[in-house]
Amino acid sequence: MESVEVANRGKRRNSGKKKGKMASKRPRLNEYKVKIDKKMKKVFEKRARDYNSDDEDEDEDEAEFTEPKRKEEEEYEVEFSDNDEEEQEEEDGFKRGEVSEDEDGGIQPGITKFADGIKAFRLAFKKIVKKSGDDDDVLGPVLSAHKKLIAEKLGEEEAEKKVKGEVKKEKNLIREKGHVKPVNYLDAHEKFLLGIATKGVVKLFNAVNKAQTAQRGLNPSRSRDEKVIKKRRKEAFFSELGRTSSQSAKTVVKVGTSGGSVDDDAPGWAPLRDNYMLTNPKLKDWDKMQDKNDEDDFGRQPQTDSSSDED
Amino acid sequence: MIQKKRTPFVRQFTKKQPTVDHVTGDKIPKSFVFCRGKLPGTLRQLETDLRKLMLPFTALKLKEKKRNNLKDFLNVAGPMGVTHFLILSKTPTAPYLRVARTPQGPTLTFKIQEYSLATEIAQSQVRPRSPKDLFKNPPLIVLSGFGTGEQHLKLTTIMFQNIFPAIDVNTVKLSSCQRIVLLNYNKDTKLIDFRHYSIRLQPIGVSRRIRKFVQNHQVPDLRNLQDVSDFVTKVGYGSESEVDDEAATVSLPTDLGRVNRASNKSAVKLQEIGPRMTLQLTKIEEGLCSGGVIFSEYVNNDKSKNQKTHDEEDNNEEEEEEEEEEED
Repeated sequence: MESVEVANRGKRRNSGKKKGKMASKRPRLNEYKVKIDKKMKKVFEKRARDYNSDDEDEDEDEAEFTEPKRKEEEEYEVEFSDNDEEEQEEEDGFKRGEVSEDEDGGIQPGITKFADGIKAFRLAFKKIVKKSGDDDDVLGPVLSAHKKLIAEKLGEEEAEKKVKGEVKKEKNLIREKGHVKPVNYLDAHEKFLLGIATKGVVKLFNAVNKAQTAQRGLNPSRSRDEKVIKKRRKEAFFSELGRTSSQSAKTVVKVGTSGGSVDDDAPGWAPLRDNYMLTNPKLKDWDKMQDKNDEDDFGRQPQTDSSSDED
Repeated sequence: MIQKKRTPFVRQFTKKQPTVDHVTGDKIPKSFVFCRGKLPGTLRQLETDLRKLMLPFTALKLKEKKRNNLKDFLNVAGPMGVTHFLILSKTPTAPYLRVARTPQGPTLTFKIQEYSLATEIAQSQVRPRSPKDLFKNPPLIVLSGFGTGEQHLKLTTIMFQNIFPAIDVNTVKLSSCQRIVLLNYNKDTKLIDFRHYSIRLQPIGVSRRIRKFVQNHQVPDLRNLQDVSDFVTKVGYGSESEVDDEAATVSLPTDLGRVNRASNKSAVKLQEIGPRMTLQLTKIEEGLCSGGVIFSEYVNNDKSKNQKTHDEEDNNEEEEEEEEEEED
């Protein structure tokens, strides 16, 4: 014996009690059960009986535990399903003394037992369902006794919704004011506008056509032809202008074109012209000291020391 | 040692927009389109539509915050060379569009009577077309009905003509003119119609079948025909769109794509894209949303009332310094 003890001392912990893995995973429960032993077992068995039975009075001799709660039971028609005793035990063990039901009226404050709580709740619920089943009310089973109040509340809510709906509609109207969805794409007015726009485009294209075909034969870099080009350009442009303005008194189609301010002897590319930056008053004094306000942001020009190109 | 072949380091250049036009030497006008105040969803859509319209010389993704004032926009506008502001706002009566020239230029206030969004117009059409490079070039502008000679109309004309860059007739490429903005003034109702179209050229003188065949590259169905010549010479019934006015035909100087050849007649076809608005000119001010009132639609005592309500709205949105309205 001694030798066995000595031999096992250093090496094994649970030499005396050898349990499997599963047992070691649930140590507490086992301990609990083991500790409970006979007294508690009795209590639990009684409880299970109470829970499953429909009898009125039960004797309980658990002075050590919570106070028993007695309720008068009137009608029992349905039994709760039977649970296994083991589950019962566990449930009771865990929830014992923690539940206090408020759903049945006139409860004694304090901790009540779970089984009693269930009974009481069952009672109360049955009462309610019975009551509301008799009525023709649409409201259905109502837990509160003040049914009128609730009806009023619902009526109020509906009225509120209606008002809100109207307000929303008004807001939406204001928001979308002016927004028109085009129902029919081509009506008379649209066609008329399309015609005007087409006329404008056609005029522009014709003018371009004239100007560019006339120019095609001439090479703009040769100075001899340059003057011819400029003359033709000016003539064509002014003639087009004259035509458009006198065409109809009512509708004057103005197309945004430039030109007309191009002098003779001016090459095609703007920086090559002599008056490139001179005509524009803002770009003109680019090398002079600036004493302009901060407002005039466009007038900000870099100050340089180079000589100006002006005369 | 093996020399590693080094590719030369090329810095990515972001394309800078030119401030000055190469050909004309004038400044290219640029614009900002933004909203003042809280706007409902449809008006914000209108704002994006207007931005697309003003492309390429506008800030497409302009970010504005609630606390931005007009001064902030002005400060940014200077260095960037922005010349015009298009401002959308809303009062309980109607949405308003203000067109202003920076930094001190006049402000035109338009009341938007009606508007439709670009998406809705596309939905209402049978065949909406949207070519890829549509917004690469600035649009043309056509103003019609403004020629009565009144001062405010003249000012409107000049303002709108300056918003879009000018075109030099001699050097412009027709392929770059793909959009057109139309402003039509109706004398009786004093309303301005604002429309935005895309331009398309179609060769005429060619039968419909052949044209479709060349354009779509779809092999036609020759089952029932004896000979190819039948396909080419078949007399088809004329549909409504084929009746082209002589007025709509142009003769092109150069080739435009495979189909439209030079010195052959082509028809100009417009299709509406973009927002559609009906505007009423209500006010012209001397300054940028401030200054003396040059013209006002409501000339009688009602004017002060209308101005006041609109100004109160503005005061909530903008700084008080900006609002120095004269009150009669």
